[in-house]
Amino acid sequence: MSTADNFVGIVVHAGGNVKGLFGPRFLPGVVAYLARHGDGTSPEGTPEVKAVVCVKQVVAIGDEIAFTDDGKSVDGDYLDHAVNEWDVVAVEEALRMTEAASAAGEESEVVVVTVGGEENEEALRRCLAMGAQRAIRVEGQSGALLDPLTVARRLAPVVAREAADVVLCGVQSSDSVQAAVGTMLAELLELPRVAVVKEISLDRADGTATVMRELEGGLVDVVEVDLPALLTVQTGINEPRYATLRAIKQANLKEIEVVEPSQDAPGCYEILRIYAPPRGEGAEMLEGSPAEVAARIVELVKARLS
Amino acid sequence: MGETRPVYAGLSHIEVVLFYGLAVVSTGIFCWGVARLVLKYRAGRREPLGRLVRRASSMVDVVFSHRWIRRRDPIAGLGHLLLFYGFTALFIGTTILGIQTDIARPIFHADFWSGRFYLGYKLALDIAGVLLLAGLTLMAFNRAVRRPRRLGYARPDRRAGEYDRSLYRVGDWVFLSTLFSLGVTGFLLEGFFLASTPQHFAAWSPVGWVLMKWFRAMGLTGSSAALAHHVTWWVHAVLALTFVASIPFTKAVHMIASPANVAVRDPAAGKRLSTIAADAAPEDVGYRNLDDLSWRHLLSLDACTKCGKCTEACPAAAAGLPLSPRDLILDLREAAETTLGAHAALGIRPDGWPEGLDVLGDPIRTASVWSCTQCMACVEICPVGIEHVPIINQFRRQLVERGEMDPMLQRTFETISSTGNSFGEPKRRRPKWTEGLQFAVKDARKEAAELLWFVGDYASFDPRNQRNSRALAEVLRRAGADFAMLYEAERTAGCDVRRAGEEGLYSSLAEANIEAISGCEFERIFSTDPHTFHTLKNEYPGFGGSWTVLHHSELLLELIEAGRLELRPLGYRVTYHDPCMLGRYNEVYDAPRRVLEAIGVELVEMPRNRDNSLCCGAGGGRIWMKEQRPEGSRRASEQRIDEATSLGRLDYFVVACPKDVTMYSDAIKTSGHDGEIELRELSELVLESIGAPTDSATALAGTKVAPD
Ligand code: SF4
Ligand code: SF4
Repeated sequence: MSTADNFVGIVVHAGGNVKGLFGPRFLPGVVAYLARHGDGTSPEGTPEVKAVVCVKQVVAIGDEIAFTDDGKSVDGDYLDHAVNEWDVVAVEEALRMTEAASAAGEESEVVVVTVGGEENEEALRRCLAMGAQRAIRVEGQSGALLDPLTVARRLAPVVAREAADVVLCGVQSSDSVQAAVGTMLAELLELPRVAVVKEISLDRADGTATVMRELEGGLVDVVEVDLPALLTVQTGINEPRYATLRAIKQANLKEIEVVEPSQDAPGCYEILRIYAPPRGEGAEMLEGSPAEVAARIVELVKARLS
Repeated sequence: MGETRPVYAGLSHIEVVLFYGLAVVSTGIFCWGVARLVLKYRAGRREPLGRLVRRASSMVDVVFSHRWIRRRDPIAGLGHLLLFYGFTALFIGTTILGIQTDIARPIFHADFWSGRFYLGYKLALDIAGVLLLAGLTLMAFNRAVRRPRRLGYARPDRRAGEYDRSLYRVGDWVFLSTLFSLGVTGFLLEGFFLASTPQHFAAWSPVGWVLMKWFRAMGLTGSSAALAHHVTWWVHAVLALTFVASIPFTKAVHMIASPANVAVRDPAAGKRLSTIAADAAPEDVGYRNLDDLSWRHLLSLDACTKCGKCTEACPAAAAGLPLSPRDLILDLREAAETTLGAHAALGIRPDGWPEGLDVLGDPIRTASVWSCTQCMACVEICPVGIEHVPIINQFRRQLVERGEMDPMLQRTFETISSTGNSFGEPKRRRPKWTEGLQFAVKDARKEAAELLWFVGDYASFDPRNQRNSRALAEVLRRAGADFAMLYEAERTAGCDVRRAGEEGLYSSLAEANIEAISGCEFERIFSTDPHTFHTLKNEYPGFGGSWTVLHHSELLLELIEAGRLELRPLGYRVTYHDPCMLGRYNEVYDAPRRVLEAIGVELVEMPRNRDNSLCCGAGGGRIWMKEQRPEGSRRASEQRIDEATSLGRLDYFVVACPKDVTMYSDAIKTSGHDGEIELRELSELVLESIGAPTDSATALAGTKVAPD
């Protein structure tokens, strides 16, 4: 990706967020990270570039839909599942980062994490098939629509434990479109975070990443951020690779680590009811032959214009 | 002692020794060449070979009947037939002489090369020589005067100047002229011999006799004729020994490799693609390196005679896409030679010939690999049984594994994998097309039925095709057929997924469908979609699902022949397009034609019909890829409509495949023939013939199909 000449770059420095790193809750993770990077050498066997990617299995809804009896969820029969598009892009970005490191002879690792029931492992398998090395699922009830804060809270200890150089999240999920988990997770982990990123380059010698964000009107925001950092990734940053079904089947043989969530604090909201909005008034379905339909449209337009 | 002649007449002892020395060298080179060929093939992937007797007998049949060589070019076919039989007889003759001279006489002191046998031998060989020369003349005439385009070396897959095939042209002519010279010098030898040593039985070699008369008339007798004989003998001998030595290295290699390939070929090549081992590493999937090719495929490369019939039949080449099946084979052959074959051993690499084991990308360009519609036109016509379709498919598998494919194709795979259909529709919508019917179609998951209708994606989701599905449903109801569908449990059958190279996705679709179908009670399956029909019928058995599978044209014919439909002649004048998957893949040519006959329409055949049908361009997953359209080219489908409209006034272009419905509805509009011809699916015409109002006639008026 290149920045065109007419783009205006705004360079800022975010982070230096060292105080955050020493927050009490995630000290173990920080110690692990410092152990790897503090004196510039890494302990035997630990990867030199490590990325954790948080992914979600989203649902796609067709034009027919039914709700569960309690009215709080959509009947699973009407849903198709897929890995959130933004998250696939984030996985691809992580793989490219680590592949660049591997090509340079360094060890690297991509770990994918999700929150949800067992059926969500399908999403993890797809990421493993793309090339991620490990996958972790934090338990969550099947079929339940969790609120973003609960998701972030469940992710936090696992992500902290992994002590990655970069934590990547998709900007948002295609089904609930809240764009909240990434940001909340950064806050919980007390990591610097840059949102809606369209280009990432790591400078690990420096312990920083330079990332690019596209703003309205062709403006480009260039941000340098201290590592470790959390970045939420925008689609268009790359063309994700294809995971063949064969690779996915092979990934079925890999073990997925399952982590029980610690105590749940109340979420940031609770779903009371899901329903189809009542159909609005004023719509007229035109029927008849194409000629009749056309004539009726002309009539309607004329009536509006007069 | 009866009639005979001395074998080394007029040669000194030294000369005879010299000749034997040269013969040993020549045979040595030949054997070394053959050994190199064998080593080259052994570098390929192993593949077991069974049924040797059946293979041998089929090879003998194909080679000696010339059934394949004759097709679509009777002149070249006749030419080859003559020279083949001529050459074979001369070869046998020479072998007999060799046995006599070098085995029978020195070892057993037996002489059978005399008397009546000798006379018959002379006559037979003279006739064989004439056949050989006549055949060669015909072939030369074909090449030099008739010059069919397919014999030219222009490559549709490369720009002019990007390649050089002059070596092949030289090779072709050298081959022809060597054989020709061998024939001519053979006859001259006879003439000179008879001129120098008159024989009372000379007339048993009619050609030699005529030449002898000629030479005598010119005053060539006695010692001068003997001298001419002596010189010609050496020319003939050196030419023959050189030819033998050159066989493994020149165009002549087809004399060995082509029959061998016919013997080892896979009769189901392309029709039943291979599976991939579950634990295969990504780099071992499909073909990338030359030694990924199976030994059979490596052998087949040498079998190619460059006849160009495959490229002539190729719809991609016709549409100006960068694909030429012949040149794909030749590129691979060159690469195999320079990396694994005799050329590699000798360190020779002709200009422009590729080298290196990794051929995917260069010389096998990805654009070529993706241009193929897997229509089987090439495999079907190849006179030596080369398997372009599975070879191309293997290259695709490697590209899919690497993710090097059209983004649209990748999205389609992802869509199919998540929704089970290529339209990305929720599975609930699959049976939606039945809503226009006046009756409910049975649910095979709940009720037993005689027939299971595997509808397929296009016939389920595409609006134009839904109309045809409803037409067929109505016809079946009128015929009292007992049929059911899988409803939501059906997934795309995967024929084109497999042909596009996503084997993993194909196998999971096949497994899911087989599981769904196995839970139902029925007797036979049918589909309107030839792709679905093909893979269910021929490829699902490999995954554990074997049933009787019909195409709806076969089912309709059966119902008509059983008198279950009351038909009224329609009187239209139509043409019919054979779908690749129905025709070439399954040889169902007659059922749709007989249905058309039964409903009283006049069928006017297009010049390319039946096995020579031109693919619509949608197959092999091409329908899911961005269309490549070289400037100034006409789509294969448009060329097809041109072909149909050139037949004079026709009412309908009849098809029997949902993808054809889509492709040709478009092509009629874009080819500039809109209004000249209309498209009809077979079922629609049958529905019209039983007197029911068609969906198309009524749907536009906003009403439903009338109940009867
Ligand atoms: S299968 Fe059809 S499109 Fe592919 S190379 Fe052969 S003739 Fe051409
Ligand atoms: S591959 Fe077969 S059809 Fe094509 S040129 Fe070679 S011999 Fe002829």
